[in-house]
Amino acid sequence: MISGESITGGAARTVRDVVCGFCGLGCDDLEVTVAGRAITPRTACPEAARLLARSEAPPPVPRIKGAPATFEEAAAAAAGHLKAAHSAAFSGLGADLEGLRRLYDLAMASGASLDHAASSGLFANLERLARKGWIAATLAEVRNRCDVMVVFGDDPASAFNRFFSRAVPVRGKGAEGDAAPLFVTAPGRRQIAIVGGSLSEPSRRVLATHAVTEIIVAEHEVATAASVLSALVAGRAVDGLSGLPEATVTALAALAEQLKAARYAVFTWNAASLPAEDAPVVAGAASEAVDLLSVTTRAAVFPLGGRDNVTGAHQLALWRFGYPLRTAVGAGTARHVPELYSTTAALYDADLLLHASAFRPDAPPDFDRGPVIAIAHPDTVFAREPEVFIPVGTPGVDHGGHVFRMDSVVCLPLQALRPAELPSVAEAAAAILVSFGRGA
Amino acid sequence: MRTRITGGRVFDPANNVIDQVRDLLLEDGRIIADAPPVQGEQVVDASGTIVLAGGIDLHSHIAGGKVNLGRLLMNEDRALYPEPFGDFCGCGGGRAVPTTHATGCRYSQMGYTAVFEPAVVGANARHAHLEMADIPNIDTGGFLVLGNDDFLLRLIAQSEGQQAINDYVAWMLKATQCCAIKIVNPGGINAFKFNGRALDLDETGPFYGLTPRRILNTLQRAVSELGVPHPIHLHGCNLGVPGNVKTTLATIGASEGFPLHLTHIQFHSYGTEGDRHFSSGSAEIAEAVNANPHISVDVGQIMFGQTVTASADLMSQYRNHGIADPKKWIGMDIEMDAACGVVPFNYRDTSFVNALQWAIGLELFLLIEDPWRVYLTTDHPNGGPFTSYPHLIRLLMDKPFRDAHLGRIHKAARAHTRLAEISREYTLEEIAVVTRAAPARTLGLKDRGHLGPGARADVVLYEEQADREAMFAAPRFVLKDGEVVVVNGEVVALTKGRTYAVHPPSDPLMDKRLERWFDEAVGLKASHYQIADREIRDGQGPEIVELTP
Repeated sequence: MISGESITGGAARTVRDVVCGFCGLGCDDLEVTVAGRAITPRTACPEAARLLARSEAPPPVPRIKGAPATFEEAAAAAAGHLKAAHSAAFSGLGADLEGLRRLYDLAMASGASLDHAASSGLFANLERLARKGWIAATLAEVRNRCDVMVVFGDDPASAFNRFFSRAVPVRGKGAEGDAAPLFVTAPGRRQIAIVGGSLSEPSRRVLATHAVTEIIVAEHEVATAASVLSALVAGRAVDGLSGLPEATVTALAALAEQLKAARYAVFTWNAASLPAEDAPVVAGAASEAVDLLSVTTRAAVFPLGGRDNVTGAHQLALWRFGYPLRTAVGAGTARHVPELYSTTAALYDADLLLHASAFRPDAPPDFDRGPVIAIAHPDTVFAREPEVFIPVGTPGVDHGGHVFRMDSVVCLPLQALRPAELPSVAEAAAAILVSFGRGA
Repeated sequence: MRTRITGGRVFDPANNVIDQVRDLLLEDGRIIADAPPVQGEQVVDASGTIVLAGGIDLHSHIAGGKVNLGRLLMNEDRALYPEPFGDFCGCGGGRAVPTTHATGCRYSQMGYTAVFEPAVVGANARHAHLEMADIPNIDTGGFLVLGNDDFLLRLIAQSEGQQAINDYVAWMLKATQCCAIKIVNPGGINAFKFNGRALDLDETGPFYGLTPRRILNTLQRAVSELGVPHPIHLHGCNLGVPGNVKTTLATIGASEGFPLHLTHIQFHSYGTEGDRHFSSGSAEIAEAVNANPHISVDVGQIMFGQTVTASADLMSQYRNHGIADPKKWIGMDIEMDAACGVVPFNYRDTSFVNALQWAIGLELFLLIEDPWRVYLTTDHPNGGPFTSYPHLIRLLMDKPFRDAHLGRIHKAARAHTRLAEISREYTLEEIAVVTRAAPARTLGLKDRGHLGPGARADVVLYEEQADREAMFAAPRFVLKDGEVVVVNGEVVALTKGRTYAVHPPSDPLMDKRLERWFDEAVGLKASHYQIADREIRDGQGPEIVELTP
């Protein structure tokens, strides 16, 4: 919601209810001040504040081999490289859905593999979700129904600053009839158990009225603890099998009893922050526990993730190609081979890298086997000057767009906060596509 | 430019034109009144063909979160059925849950030009619309799932009155850019969130203390008073449960004179007779439908083979997940709106239950007399993929073909169906009704489903063939808004479709109430839940269906 001057006006104005597309939690109540091209965040978590802040500085121009170029020249140069390539890899994919649609169009025209910079957690979870499935809940269901929450791993607030205040709010005394949680018997006091690292002080404050249990487990033992908890829920004997300290097993046994008595238990974890080999185990154990509990009561998983619209990139890949990311497309076909088409693996064989990152100035991965095309945030610092650099605006700052929230259900509309001086990813990809005879 | 389609046998039951050889004149995407030939008009020779309006599927799960979860689970199906190579290949594929491009192409190759996604969950509506915008060659629209949403149930439980309900329903329809209201297992999805495992029509659900009957009647009144053309599109209680024929009959009796559409009624027509305690209830259901002119149905025919079931009815899908094939499934409680459950199924003619389900669907098609109140569906993909429609049409039109298939199904199932005794064969006129004219009429699409002047120039020319499956699988020509998009069953052009929505007015006070609800309960701004017109199809905006209060 924009108050005061119109978007092109000069006077400082306050913009309320700004939607944030960065971490995946999808907060939509941020507040910023906009004066000319400068943006000063007023109400935002530190990460969003950092990524939303803008100075008056004019944006950079596109570059070809480090030399300034027009947008059209840069797009044509990018198209030339793409046409010459035999094995292109598209990485980053940090873009709104409009940008992703055009990037996928481009990949279909030129032939390329597709992967997102933040897909590692997603793929760890897919090992469970695509192979066996799970029962999940969206954010509003967690807010209103969850009476026992189990968090595996680190404090979620480190990556998703407002997670606890949004997922398990406290219904204050004298609250209106609409205030969450609507269906928790003791709305000010939910059971929150952390199985992993200790909570930060800010998280402890947010959770102050809840009954918080911290079961401290070393990072490399989180997966074991998750499996033990699932086994305890199943009623299986775990004595002496896990290698976990006895006190930890005792605490997990008590937690298992809480879960069985819960009306709506929720398990959450950030697969991206767990050791790569352990993340699928945690996703599996949480899903198993939900399956076990669901026989007699209700429970759900709420996996954390979704940075820079990776969820949108995943959804779009599914509806376009019928496969998740880490798929190579082109010549009318799509091949989904995650082992070959993760960015790391794809770059072993690729002869071109196209890197898209509009949400944050993340440099492309190291690559020296061929040209690099960067459709990237204007502040990106390159270790190696790309063959083509097209600076692009940020969705939700310079132009509107759509991003998915981490629960993969809610898709949010981002709005421009200031007049765009840079093209969007969609416009950049469309300009390159023109050379393929498939322009916008 | 003018296009003249000449020499074909025209079947246009909405305009009482049945099997007449006449010209059709198209101009600027519309059919216009016949006029003498003019210089430069394009002539399409339709001799030897049957000329129908574009097909309309009013119940097919083509877009949105649960469809994408289906794609995630059905990688093998996707790999087995890649899109054919060629200029119009979209790097997609899949048979049970095709990708967006494949969905548009396969539908248009059969002569369909409009398809409706019948289960849009409000919180996921923006996703559904983005996906629909990616489907070429067909027009689309969504039915909004209500009847388990906490805001509504609270309004009813607090006896806030019909006007508040109507305002809320109107607000939600506009917010989600949908064109009808679907109820899935009224109150049941919500009850499952409170650990309720079953909820019959007159059972009181948990927390709100409401019966499905009351929820149904309240929403029936709302859509009727708002003037939404399509009546409540009901997926009733007890889907798939043997004995649910009683619930379905009671539901028909519960409609209090309001029109009611019972969807995928095949899944709601099961008795408990016989040694296997599973029997056909089709005769009773057909009798009730025949006797109640305010009831319409779509069948949800099952077709043998691999598919995946995707439903908002998590209560039922949880009950069924044990028979998932392959063994994987996904459930989700969704955002105080509804839920979803996605369970792969492989319907086998060697299974007693599946074989009898197949027979029950066909019995319903054949025993319900008025084709204007039966719409051809497989509840894609739940009963089977939409690409099986030509086969289904032949089963309906060709008794010997039907009997030959009946002879191959599970023996005991054969003994439990009276299908062999039914001699009815659908006529071409009836096919034109159940796949075109009737769905257009119930959805309030006045310029669709017929070939009169003013209608959209969606016209299909099917080569007259004795093999009706071959005939309906590969039309000679399909014109979408006057443009040729399919020739001899092959896609030759891609066009953009449109999206239908209704925008009933609501009291501004409802804006305030919902602002608070979304802020406090949901944790999302109402303004971000609402989908703006410009968000539909990259700025094209919705095509508004006229209200008929």
